[in-house]
Amino acid sequence: MTAELGTETKLTRLEALRRALPKEPAMDPTGQRLAQLVDRIAEQRVPVNGLIRLWTLGSLQARVTAGYFAYWLRSRFVDADERQRLKSEAHLAAAVKLFGTMGYLRGAVMKIGQLLANLPEVAPEEFSEVLAALHFEAPPMHFAMVRELFLDEFGKEPEELFASFDRQAFAAASLGQVHRARLHSGEEVAVKIQYPGIARTIRSDMRNLRLMLQPLCLTRDWQNTTDKLADIEQMLLMETDYEAEAGYYTQARQLFTAADQVVVPQVYREYCSKRVLTTEFLAGCHLDEFLAGKPSQVERNRFTDLLTVATFRVYYRLHWFMADPHPGNFIFMADGRLGLIDFGCTRVMTDEEWQLSSAAEQAFLQGDEARLNMITAKACLFNGPEDIEPDRLKTVREGVDWQLEPWRQEGLFDFGDREFFRRGIDCIVAMAKKRYTCGAPLYIWTNRFTLGGRAFCYRLQGQCDFRKIHQQESLAASAAASIS
Amino acid sequence: MRISEQAKHETRSRILTTAAELFCTKGFEESTTREIALTAGLAAGTMFNYFPSKETLAMTMVTEALRQGTEDFRRRRTNEEQLAEELFMFIASGLRLLQPMRPFLGPVLERSLSPFPRKSTCPEGDATRQEHLAVVQEIINHHGFTEPPDHVAMTIYWSLYLGILACWTNDPSPNQEESRAMIDYSLQVFVQMITGGDAEKGAANDC
Repeated sequence: MTAELGTETKLTRLEALRRALPKEPAMDPTGQRLAQLVDRIAEQRVPVNGLIRLWTLGSLQARVTAGYFAYWLRSRFVDADERQRLKSEAHLAAAVKLFGTMGYLRGAVMKIGQLLANLPEVAPEEFSEVLAALHFEAPPMHFAMVRELFLDEFGKEPEELFASFDRQAFAAASLGQVHRARLHSGEEVAVKIQYPGIARTIRSDMRNLRLMLQPLCLTRDWQNTTDKLADIEQMLLMETDYEAEAGYYTQARQLFTAADQVVVPQVYREYCSKRVLTTEFLAGCHLDEFLAGKPSQVERNRFTDLLTVATFRVYYRLHWFMADPHPGNFIFMADGRLGLIDFGCTRVMTDEEWQLSSAAEQAFLQGDEARLNMITAKACLFNGPEDIEPDRLKTVREGVDWQLEPWRQEGLFDFGDREFFRRGIDCIVAMAKKRYTCGAPLYIWTNRFTLGGRAFCYRLQGQCDFRKIHQQESLAASAAASIS
Repeated sequence: MRISEQAKHETRSRILTTAAELFCTKGFEESTTREIALTAGLAAGTMFNYFPSKETLAMTMVTEALRQGTEDFRRRRTNEEQLAEELFMFIASGLRLLQPMRPFLGPVLERSLSPFPRKSTCPEGDATRQEHLAVVQEIINHHGFTEPPDHVAMTIYWSLYLGILACWTNDPSPNQEESRAMIDYSLQVFVQMITGGDAEKGAANDC
């Protein structure tokens, strides 16, 4: 936890964060002004997540979030004239100050921070890495709070409901925390508990966010931004519904057999409610610990392979994708299996979205450039390629082509290739700089899914036969669909 | 004819149950002592032998609930709690027992526990306050703060507690979960204050 870090470590991290803060060539080439802004917010000691305890412990995270937020807002008026820019700077200062009062519970702040980071105006890779390192640093709510929640939800104390229950959380989920426990029947379980009042906080935060953005975003993209914010709010609220998440777990679990070596934990429904989710405990480690063990290339490739199978299977069979593919959601199990946990941020595609995505895939596989341009234009909310500016089409297509690049290659695709990863980031940064970010809200999540998954495989330095896995999984899904 | 202790006890219980039902259905202000007595099958004069006023009646319910809450708290306490956490458990245990009275608690607390000077004090309210603060003192001592907190600290605690009660009685969120977050926040503030603003000290001083 942050509070337990030595002063030196704290300073090092803060320095790393300052270095990683995005630079804006025109307005702030050294990134110094943004760093100062972030420092000022940090100095205010405003209760970013309401509880002083949490603010104190989670302040570094709050600074990162504030940094992203300031960067994202600033990028909205980079092309404005000087007068407009000064006016916007004033709005920015007010907005960032107001931002300090938002999300009096930590979950919303973390979630909004991560989502802002994944809006198309993406931050540099180094900054994303700093954020990734902070994912598990939020402190737990104390056990007395957990006990009250159990009395509300089940009418029993956790010690009555379970044979044993750890007082200390072993992981922080963004909207709650996870405790280890054992059922009376002997099974080891992970119990995810939601912080009280989080859903209402999300609603109020999003309302505030819309209000503070309004003076900054009177552009032609404003309607699109509000559509995206509405989609983000809906997804965040869905994430607070643990009963729905239990349903996702159950459906996903049915897709895998023992031979697949991919495990989705079993849900224990009688120990679940809207705010408590009890699943089988998967023993294993996360990415950092796995990498610290200096795994061989064979081991790295194995997990890259399993991850690719898992995501394709969920995508083709259920038309979903896990829109929050951060490292904490994957467990490297000692016996070589891959565990998938946390289905809270599951984006279910509508039939219309699925058809458009399938059409894009078909056009790509058939080499039908004209059709792919048509679909790209529609995804950018234009009627067709004739309506879209040529440079916008070209820039967006470069991003699409990067996403589809692994499909082109026969044999092993190297996701650890730095040049490939950087190129993807460059494509998206180019889209952001040129303000070609207008598009259906779905693409916030598909971008997050693709970038998150590729960042994971890049850090894993893994390779897999992507094309072959795609063919196997899409064909198997078609066969399954025709039978049903 | 002398009334047995058991009969007295039963009558007292009946009055309390009847009053609670009326307060919940009609509201505290709208329920009269006469109506309570009649519904409980007593003459108004007889009821005054048990409870001299409507406020006393309501405050007796609150006091009994809070006493039971204190017993629950002592039973649930594991001695592993940090100071703020233990205070949280104490308050939460009491609120759970006050839950059935939530619909009429606001005006009762306003009349009986208000820190503002009043023409007539409610002895039951004062007794409840003293009992509550004694437990808070005990919890603080238990965590190694042997110096008794001065009256300023206790006054601030009591203000926080009344604020919590006021918020909780009007909290529309499910299971009053918003109040719960606020209780936690308020207690962190209080613990910071009595530990001299050092957030870590509350934990460090734990037994």
